Amino acid sequence: MNHLPQAWGRPRDDVYGPYDASYLQSRLPQAHTQSPIVTGTSVLAVKFKDGVVIAADNLASYGSLARFTDVKRLRPFNSKSIVGIGGDVSDMQYLDRLLNSLDVTENYSSTGHSLNAKNLHTYLSKVMYKRRSDINPLWNQMLVAGLDGNDEPFLSSVDLLGTTFSSPTLATGFGAHLAQPLLRKVADDESKVADVTRERAVEAVKECMKVLFYRDARSLDRYSIAVVTKEGGGVEGG
Amino acid sequence: MFRNNYDNDSVTFSPQGRIFQVEYASEAVKQGSVVVGIVSKTHTVLVALKRNAEELSSYQKKVIGIDEHFGIALAGLASDARVLSNFMKQQALASKMTYGRPIPLERIVTQIGDRAQTSTQVYGKRPYGVGLLIAGVDETGPHLFEFQPSGMTQEMIACAIGARSQMARTYLERHLDEFADASRDELIKHGLLALKESLSQDKELTVDNASVGVTGIAKDGKRKVETFKLYDGSEVGPLLEAALESAELAGGEAREGESMEVDS
Amino acid sequence: MTSIGTGYDLQNSVFSPDGRNFQVEYAVKAVENGGTCVGIRCKDGVVLAVEKIITSKLLKPGANKKIATVDRNVGIVSSGIIPDGRHFVSRARDEAASWRSTYKAPIPLAALAGRLGGYVQAYTLYSSVRPFGVTAIVGGWDSEGELGVDGQVGSGPSVGTGGKKPGAKAGGPALYMIEPSGSYWVSLLITRDGIHKTDKAHSKGYYGAATGKGRQTAKSELEKLDLASGNLSLEAGVKEAARIIYVAHEDSKDKEFELEMSWISSMDGPTKGRHQEVPKDMLEEAEKLAKKALEGEDEEETTAPEGETMEE
Repeated sequence: MNHLPQAWGRPRDDVYGPYDASYLQSRLPQAHTQSPIVTGTSVLAVKFKDGVVIAADNLASYGSLARFTDVKRLRPFNSKSIVGIGGDVSDMQYLDRLLNSLDVTENYSSTGHSLNAKNLHTYLSKVMYKRRSDINPLWNQMLVAGLDGNDEPFLSSVDLLGTTFSSPTLATGFGAHLAQPLLRKVADDESKVADVTRERAVEAVKECMKVLFYRDARSLDRYSIAVVTKEGGGVEGG
Repeated sequence: MFRNNYDNDSVTFSPQGRIFQVEYASEAVKQGSVVVGIVSKTHTVLVALKRNAEELSSYQKKVIGIDEHFGIALAGLASDARVLSNFMKQQALASKMTYGRPIPLERIVTQIGDRAQTSTQVYGKRPYGVGLLIAGVDETGPHLFEFQPSGMTQEMIACAIGARSQMARTYLERHLDEFADASRDELIKHGLLALKESLSQDKELTVDNASVGVTGIAKDGKRKVETFKLYDGSEVGPLLEAALESAELAGGEAREGESMEVDS
Repeated sequence: MTSIGTGYDLQNSVFSPDGRNFQVEYAVKAVENGGTCVGIRCKDGVVLAVEKIITSKLLKPGANKKIATVDRNVGIVSSGIIPDGRHFVSRARDEAASWRSTYKAPIPLAALAGRLGGYVQAYTLYSSVRPFGVTAIVGGWDSEGELGVDGQVGSGPSVGTGGKKPGAKAGGPALYMIEPSGSYWVSLLITRDGIHKTDKAHSKGYYGAATGKGRQTAKSELEKLDLASGNLSLEAGVKEAARIIYVAHEDSKDKEFELEMSWISSMDGPTKGRHQEVPKDMLEEAEKLAKKALEGEDEEETTAPEGETMEE
């Protein structure tokens, strides 16, 4: 007979077989988000010579159901940047509140400090990477469009793993497959951005949104499009 | 014997509404050797008089670089300053890490101010026994702040704290109008001369006891920052020479002409 | 004070035999020498103004703001120990942020004032802390429009009232003043049958508030404005606030000062429901009028406003 303390008060192994301690566990292992629920699809963006164009449709899908059809997925931040968010919509709403509180604290003092798009992208990438390291990711992919510290056009992405990526044209979700190759015809290299006009960029994005509506079953024909330049940014319904 | 019953801790108001412990902490600042700070439209300068405990010992550090874009000068308990400067270094680094931007000076100053305020309102803590001048450059240009043990922080055009600093302040007030448009070299010169004013008779500025810290907006590029540069030891020599020479010129009633060209 | 030296004033949270907490009273003394602060609740917004005594020529003019923003729609200004005022503001910001994280909406002014009152009061309860050496004026605008919850990304159903009461009136200007004891005053509502009732939910606090060194003069000036009638416009309020600070400064004329002012208007007013500094040209205009008003007063007769003299 086993006289060791860990065997006290338990059925004897030699009579009942080895004791299965897993039955004592009252808690399941902690699990966080393992898949998104209500989702938004692609976000597209193109840099041009003095700004960035960004677009995302207004649909939030629940699986294959087009659940909400007036969801704004472009989120302006302090007139210098716009964040386009794809992926889980409730996580997007959390990010929206996070940016809201950041905006509130940034505006306590009126002495002229403001976060530019580059700062904002750095911040968001830290948030996303922290969450993935906690194994509790925010299920989104974001494009941050705007101007950097030198008022140059800025465009960069961050995803649920905290991975960041920069390019003159960017597209998330289905758009990464369908729109990105088309957008690269506009500018496939940083050096070409200087030759892209605003009209050309807007036209390319609109064309891609159309292609996506035709090919992506989780997309919608109503979308938001925004242009950020030195003169400020504005979101339009489409 | 106590001066009164209201000065044993920082959680007791006197009948006049004063907090003596905080006032006593400010006295510690006045015991420290003098430091001077000046800001122009393009640069900030910190100048300090270092002290050594005895002939053979080294000199106490008075100017500390915190981040690329700013530094501090201290008067009072150096160990308290170290706690605050470590805190500032952490915060500056955190700002770089999370936003990729140099921390706005106003913000870091508010943070140490708030920290210092806590120790004036809670039993079992003591106020910091140090005054600081925080000088640097951020997105909105060059700034100079004064920090006091009470947690009070103020943005200044020029400031001097520490022993006999009144003389330096008098110099600063007299030359207040010249600072805004002063060049980098002129600003250093003003700092050293203000410092010289507050020296006791038997002392003079030497390469051993003077420290200078400078930051500014770099000439090339609109938002580039000139990294905080600390001049210590032999590096101070040329700066001192230029300052003293111009003082002599002014003394010999010749209006100070071109200040001597000093290369950093 | 006769009770000084009896030992009941050496520790916070201790009552004297006649039921007083001396440490709180001493904290009030710290306030009484601070720069004068004024808050006016106008019909379409709130104005805050503060007299900043210039203690040194070396101070950077126009810097060192004393009016702080909390969330987006609240302003706080305080007299007394300035670092204590900063502590107070930072707590207010935390409260506003915590309210937002719970309710996904900005904190109503009445709730903010209540929480801050409670916080300050807690500092009178323990011997391990000292009371706040500030009296703070908290002014703001509760949105009268439809705000939606934070993080809302769509507009919801396009038909029906959505559970809302049509035509219900909400929001408006609010002004509170919180003292070192933690007390703050809500307005008395007089119902039709003449019963006085304090109704926190509908409270908007003071019509006008003043604290700091020149509070007596400022208060008597505020009383002359007949704020209860609700006729004073925000623009006129800005001018009055500037004038009152100038009048209240008369007692310490030898010291130079800087005037700092901020305002909060309705959602369709000049600040769109946000707390902002009063624009520079407007501030200068108000200062010019204030100086003129003072000169005019001097010409008529050189007497102080009757019956209002400083204590101490």
